Amino acid sequence: MIKLTQIRKSFGRNEVLKGIDLTVEKGEVVAILGPSGSGKTTLLRCINYLEKPNDGQISIDDFNVNCKRPDKKDIHTLRGKTAMVFQQYNLFRHKTALENVMEGLIVVKKLPKDEARQKSVELLEKVGLGSKLDAYPSELSGGQQQRVGIARALALNPEVILFDEPTSALDPELVGEVLGVIRKIAKEGITMIIVTHEMSFAQDVASHVVFMDGGVIVEEGKPSEIFNDPKEERTKQFLKRITPEGVYSI
Amino acid sequence: MKLDFAFIWTAFLQLLTAVPTALAITAVSVFCGLLIGTAVAVIRLYKVPILHPIAASYVTFIRGTPMLTHLLLIYFGLPILVDAIAEAFGLSFRSVSIPMIGFAYVSFSITAGAYMSEVVRSGLLAVNRGQIEAAYAIGMTTSQAMRRIVLPQAFAASLPNLSNSVIGMLHGSTLAFTVSVVEINAKAQIVATTNWKFFEAYLAAAIIFWAITFMIERLTALAEKRFNLYNRGGVS
Repeated sequence: MIKLTQIRKSFGRNEVLKGIDLTVEKGEVVAILGPSGSGKTTLLRCINYLEKPNDGQISIDDFNVNCKRPDKKDIHTLRGKTAMVFQQYNLFRHKTALENVMEGLIVVKKLPKDEARQKSVELLEKVGLGSKLDAYPSELSGGQQQRVGIARALALNPEVILFDEPTSALDPELVGEVLGVIRKIAKEGITMIIVTHEMSFAQDVASHVVFMDGGVIVEEGKPSEIFNDPKEERTKQFLKRITPEGVYSI
Repeated sequence: MKLDFAFIWTAFLQLLTAVPTALAITAVSVFCGLLIGTAVAVIRLYKVPILHPIAASYVTFIRGTPMLTHLLLIYFGLPILVDAIAEAFGLSFRSVSIPMIGFAYVSFSITAGAYMSEVVRSGLLAVNRGQIEAAYAIGMTTSQAMRRIVLPQAFAASLPNLSNSVIGMLHGSTLAFTVSVVEINAKAQIVATTNWKFFEAYLAAAIIFWAITFMIERLTALAEKRFNLYNRGGVS
């Protein structure tokens, strides 16, 4: 179980997160929705300390990080329990697809090379890239790179995988293959927190939906509740704009 | 004036004996300079307290003074320092036993360190911030991320500038003659004093420098090909 308590984050005088409380049960797939600047990506990056929260507490099962006074070791442990899939993929540019997945296993998990290799090959096959093991990121399409990114995250057996708008940088044509992979691993019971703009995907895959605006959680609940019967005016407004009924009119 | 081709050849052969000295000075200064430069670049980028202003002053002072001045300062200053320390600790070592080339090694390493810190710094800045974030996200420590992810990419990005520095240090090694080290130019002068054919001797020296530089350029091209293998698909 992941529990965020009163997470606060400011950039200079701009308060981006105004005390976020969120609980994610094991095996849950949480989609975080919201307009740009609502703080959803910052919240996600706070969970693995790529962004340092100013205040609050992050707990994963029995492990706690006090964000007021975090220990360097705690941050490291926290990162060991989480994995992240980035909007811009951020694959290691000087390493092949296989090496990208193996890197964490060898350097962080200290697995023997053979074992790391075997596990990485399996994972790349799982995301449909068994034939691209030796390709460098620059030789792969955006969708392929993102699937390597997902395999790299999966390799570490994290308690939770954080997806930061995993399809926002992709050609519309390539979005499907990445969402397909995420959908597939969601079914395996891995805990995931996904920041996304893909409404139908969130509705379909998420077990819990969080709507954020202005640095606070406006509303959260089951996808059916949020999408079909939102309580808050701001949520209604957002969903109406982003999922227009019927045809588009110009 | 008639050019004495035969003597160019004679001088050329004799100058070859000084090539190892020139290469040794270049290799030592480049190697130590790269170590100093990397440390300085990392200190400056991470703004390490206390060390950061020292590193910045080092770079501006060294780049603000000629390489020959560094050599003379080290040549006249280092013995005073060494003897003072030896005396204070009651050691029998004295500065007179330092070989002349030692002064060149020390001073040129200090020179190279300042210039190379900027080469390494630009290489580090060329590495996308997302790379280190991804390294942190998979649980690496800062030093693991630097060693395995950032520095290899920074090195590949700084190769062209690095080759410039190596060539600069090779040509700079000629200054070692001021502290009586017989490198290529000094050797040319010695060879020519027998018959006053300085032009021929220096011409032979020029050919040697050009040949070595050409080899450095070729090696860099090969290294670039090898280390930039991952860029073959274009922008990622």
